[in-house]
Amino acid sequence: MSSVTVGSHGHGDSKSGHGKHDHGHSAAHGHADAHGHGHAAGFISTYVFSKDHKVIGIQFLFSTLIWFLVGGLLALAVRWQLAWPWSNVPLLEHLYTAEGGQMAPETYTMLFTMHATVMIFLVIIPILAGAFGNYLIPLMIGADDMAFPTLNMLSYWFMWPAFFFFGGSFFTAGHGASSGWTSYPTLSSSPAAAPGSGTAQTMWLMGLTFVGVSSMMGSVNYMTTIIQMRAPGMSMFRMPLTIWSMFITAVLQAFALPVLTAAGFMQLMDRLWGTGFFTPEGSIINNTMHTAGGGQTLLWQHLFWFYSHPAVYIMILPAMGMVSDIIAVFARKPIFGYKPMVYSIAGIAGLGFIVWGHHMFVSGMNPMLGMTFMVSTMMIALPSAIKVFNWIGTLWGGHIQFATPMLFALSFVSMFIIGGLSGIFMAATPVDIFIHDTYFIVAHFHYVLFSGTAMGVFGAIYFWYPKMFGRMMNEGLGKIHFATTFILLNLVFFPMHVLGAVGFPRRLADPYHYDTFRFLKPLNQFMTICALLLVTVQVVFIFNFFYSMFFGKTAGRNPWRSNTLEWQTPSPPGHGNFDFQPVVYRGPYEYGSPEVSTDFYPQTQEPPPGVSNPPAHGH
Amino acid sequence: MTLTRNLTQQLFGLQSCIGLTVLVCLFALTGCDGSPPARFHLNMVAQSKERVDEANQQQVADILTAMFGTPDNPFVLPETGLDINKLRRAAGPVSSDKIGQRTGLYREHCVHCHGISGDGMGPTAAFLKPYPRDFRQGVFKFKSNALNAMPTDEDLMRTLKHGLENSAMPSFEVALPPADLEALAEYVKYLSMRGQTELALIAQVFETVDDDDKDKRLLSSSREMLLDTVLLPIAEQWQNANDSVVRPEEPPADFGSLASIEKGRQLFFGNKGGCVKCHGTTALGDGQTTDFDAWSKLVIDAKAAAEGTIEKQPGAREALSKKIAEFEARKNKVGKAEPFASPEAEQEAKDSIAEDEKTYVENEFFSHMQLRAIDEFSLPPRNIEPRNLRMGYYRGGRRPIDIYYRLATGIYGTPMPGIAGPAVTTEEIWNIVDYVLAVPLEPGGQLGADRTMAARERN
Amino acid sequence: MGKIWSLLFLLVLIGGVGCFLVAPSYNLTLPQDVSSHGHAIDHLYVFILVLTGVVFVATQAVFFWFLWKYDAANNREPVKYTHGSHTLEIVWTIIPAATLLFIALYQMNAWASSKMRMPNILPTVEVSARQFEWRLRYPGPDQILGTRDDLFHVNDLHIPVNEEILIDLKSQDVLHSFFLPNLRVKQDAVPGMKIPVWFKATETGSYDIVCAELCGWGHYKMKGRLVVQSRQDYDRWLQEMYKAQAQTASPPASEEDN
Repeated sequence: MSSVTVGSHGHGDSKSGHGKHDHGHSAAHGHADAHGHGHAAGFISTYVFSKDHKVIGIQFLFSTLIWFLVGGLLALAVRWQLAWPWSNVPLLEHLYTAEGGQMAPETYTMLFTMHATVMIFLVIIPILAGAFGNYLIPLMIGADDMAFPTLNMLSYWFMWPAFFFFGGSFFTAGHGASSGWTSYPTLSSSPAAAPGSGTAQTMWLMGLTFVGVSSMMGSVNYMTTIIQMRAPGMSMFRMPLTIWSMFITAVLQAFALPVLTAAGFMQLMDRLWGTGFFTPEGSIINNTMHTAGGGQTLLWQHLFWFYSHPAVYIMILPAMGMVSDIIAVFARKPIFGYKPMVYSIAGIAGLGFIVWGHHMFVSGMNPMLGMTFMVSTMMIALPSAIKVFNWIGTLWGGHIQFATPMLFALSFVSMFIIGGLSGIFMAATPVDIFIHDTYFIVAHFHYVLFSGTAMGVFGAIYFWYPKMFGRMMNEGLGKIHFATTFILLNLVFFPMHVLGAVGFPRRLADPYHYDTFRFLKPLNQFMTICALLLVTVQVVFIFNFFYSMFFGKTAGRNPWRSNTLEWQTPSPPGHGNFDFQPVVYRGPYEYGSPEVSTDFYPQTQEPPPGVSNPPAHGH
Repeated sequence: MTLTRNLTQQLFGLQSCIGLTVLVCLFALTGCDGSPPARFHLNMVAQSKERVDEANQQQVADILTAMFGTPDNPFVLPETGLDINKLRRAAGPVSSDKIGQRTGLYREHCVHCHGISGDGMGPTAAFLKPYPRDFRQGVFKFKSNALNAMPTDEDLMRTLKHGLENSAMPSFEVALPPADLEALAEYVKYLSMRGQTELALIAQVFETVDDDDKDKRLLSSSREMLLDTVLLPIAEQWQNANDSVVRPEEPPADFGSLASIEKGRQLFFGNKGGCVKCHGTTALGDGQTTDFDAWSKLVIDAKAAAEGTIEKQPGAREALSKKIAEFEARKNKVGKAEPFASPEAEQEAKDSIAEDEKTYVENEFFSHMQLRAIDEFSLPPRNIEPRNLRMGYYRGGRRPIDIYYRLATGIYGTPMPGIAGPAVTTEEIWNIVDYVLAVPLEPGGQLGADRTMAARERN
Repeated sequence: MGKIWSLLFLLVLIGGVGCFLVAPSYNLTLPQDVSSHGHAIDHLYVFILVLTGVVFVATQAVFFWFLWKYDAANNREPVKYTHGSHTLEIVWTIIPAATLLFIALYQMNAWASSKMRMPNILPTVEVSARQFEWRLRYPGPDQILGTRDDLFHVNDLHIPVNEEILIDLKSQDVLHSFFLPNLRVKQDAVPGMKIPVWFKATETGSYDIVCAELCGWGHYKMKGRLVVQSRQDYDRWLQEMYKAQAQTASPPASEEDN
């Protein structure tokens, strides 16, 4: 009888015979039958309208990866115009409306708007929460599925209207929304303000609403599942950091999203029924007089950033969690400062709600208010710094294995340092006066979102791929993919810092007729060539992804010799996930523990006789 | 073991990587080379209106290419008086590689509104209010000379330099050096002359086409015809633009005084000026608002002409049905119908029906094609809005002399008439100028003493 | 292989520092500052650049060193089985917190002088942003906006040197942002609001006015010019402009003969 630390379920008494990851247990002993799904299910209910969190996770993964490609191509078209303005864009020139094959300026505004929209709303947010959140949460906490499987299925299928609206908007007048992903009124709220502010903008708002609905369904589910469905012994402080970050992300989503949804509806009403929430008195746009007035354009910015600043953390926290897990596995060492890591995630989330005004330092908001937001913004750098120090601490004295997932995770840390530090420039209000809306900010968020999150996501794909598909991804190709991506992304994004220092503004279709910026063209051409190569080398990843699915090395249950629960299941896990009842005896990062002779110590492994179970975590 | 394996894997990866890179690059290159050179569009609205057939359209296009070249490679006859060097600077694809010298100015700054042919139908055009100008009719609004004269160089330069306030036409004074602006003004003249030439050629086709023998191509392409009948009259109009510049007497001594403004007000609201008909009794531009400008009118006329083709055969459809019914009745000997006397007679009736059907279908088909062409090559006509004078915008400029031009000669292409004449003296026009400049400063105007807005008050 | 990967990460350190060291010699740095308050902003920028540079170098160097040293292929020592250090956590919380708080307090004065301490003078000019131009209105000789003698101009903003300038910034349609890179001024123009912007230019010359907030399809072409002139030149320019705006005669015929 082992002394299990009692988890939330209060299973003090575990079934005997469950020591190590016991392969001997038949599926019948598992949970598959107990849950009423997956029996004689047809193809449609198994693979299309599936309620299995793993299938839904993989559906999210495929959908978002396809959109990732779309978003990348949009970015290339943007880069093309920046390097060779008004020249013919290869391949895409026939889609553009301008005569002689060159891009029309409104097409350029559409391109960067839709690039950001696709990347943020259809790639980063759903790939983190939708794909990995879905796939990993039940597996890592020892549950058989999500708390609400039907809701979970709906959360995926509610993305499809969003796909339809965003995708369909390319085929309307203006070829897509073109008022920036921030959709600031009155440019966005008045159909007269831009060619893309007509039907396309309405569709954009509808798409946004559906993404919100999907996210909200997901958050409710994740929170409930994590609170209610942890395996016996899985106390909150025995959860892997991935789960912690998913949990806090879900909380962030749940509290911030309603505001965006409300704001979106207000803008929709402004557009469709002329309510004038955001339209001030007497504005005449493109010689079109607006019937209603008395609104405030700044209101939208407050509401939008009240969601979208927390959303920035929604876009990075899960990646931080996954990277923490990957680093611990490949450093073969417990994570350094588990609890500070958890607290700093919570700290980022908490502070994340009171920093939105730093997007509005020069917006006309009261400068006194700007000062307040500046202080809170400075402070939010602190938990991020703590996380970086702890990651580096984790590497100290480890046995670092440079597998592909680890390389991506390490690059996340290295790149996040850059993205974090450049944030301090923007937080400093006087400096922000100069660099606001320049390429400095473009560099900053690409370092956080591409070099950070996207690299973390690549790492996570390489890491959990064997669990998802039962086969390993090719290491050689993986390393080529990593090395080329890593070098090229730095060549694309690092020079943006110096561009920003010159004051090079973002979102200009042709910045070179300003005398101040004319000399920056060669540098931009260099960056564009690197960006073209960067997208091209992703072909290696696409090939590896599909090739390995059929011809990769069979993975087995635990190819990385990892501690967390998902690796104790078959690869890929069947319905109901576990073929035994998992009982958790310790935290997720007990690598190199002196208690056992192996360098890993799965959470489900019963401690050897005579060893009292260590506390959940701590020092 | 593992090393070799790793290496082979890596090499394999490398190969596919390089292969695909090359593939993508090749694709990109073919994209670059494969794009067709820019071409001028035909004026399909005019072509459709005059029912120019395809052979003649091709002929018009060939003549125009011979006379004016292509967008990438413009050409002008000396008779036009245009400077080819300036045109080369404005034409062609955007390029700034050569040191200092930039070419392709028109496509860098103008094409997305005014279109490659100067038809005012660039990709951005449909969305703008007002629509960008279609240069091809040689109709320009803001000029210093007679109503239907071509604009002077100075008029064009002024528009380029200062833009047209409250339209999408920007001011280029700061953006471009004077030499570039001159090149662009020259290019506008070039596009305009080209468009006018096209219209003249279409008119020639219309006049000379032989209804009985449509295959006969009657458009003469002799040098004399093209130069003397078509090009020279157009070129002369442009070269004589300066002859009709309006040079009014100096304004009266009390110009700018309250008395003068009051006189202007009386004239504005009185019958003499006739301003209220369109600008309204409030000067808010809310009088007559159902009229169209010349460019919209052309589209409306062309559409009416196309639709008229169908309407020209009123009852054609009914007559045809009746004829068919009668034929069927006779053939099948229904009721009192008289049977056909012989198979030849039956065949004859059948052929007659087939011919009528063919004509009917051809006419209808042609009309639909016309309408489609017009829709594709024109923007939906919009009503012209008389200026709301309380806003304080003066599109053609706010100097008293600008407003004088507008009042004296009118605005070409719009319902705004010139009022200079025996009934209205120069002094009276100056009075109205005075009033028009004062309206936005009156209560309710937009230029008056600053109204408190929802501003953030500090200190 | 581990060493090679470590070196790849070292490249970030070398490249990052190198980029910022080399950039100034290619003029890739803050543009020339011709304002009286700009040096405070530039100083803060450099201060933060140095500070973050030090943190960047330190963290990336340690990061590289750990990767190099603890490569599983070479590291024969047993794994350091530790769950963290309370002392270290406190140290690396307090020090950054203190630094960040210091930066926050240190910059407040520069912010206040740029955005909060409005000079008590009459506005020099009203700048009204519109898709896609800067509409300018100078008060006439009577110094009051909204009278017949107001001077209207577009995109071409002239100001006198070494004098405090107050601008009333408005927008007629959508959001714009009035950005003077050389004067370290940026302020969004918000429809429905009149926002004061002030600065003092210290050198004569011609500088760009950039629109820095997406305002529609023509955002990129919303270029203006700021001309800083001596008081005499400025006054002369104003007189010429007044005269041109009051023009009541057609240009003389002789000029047109060509």
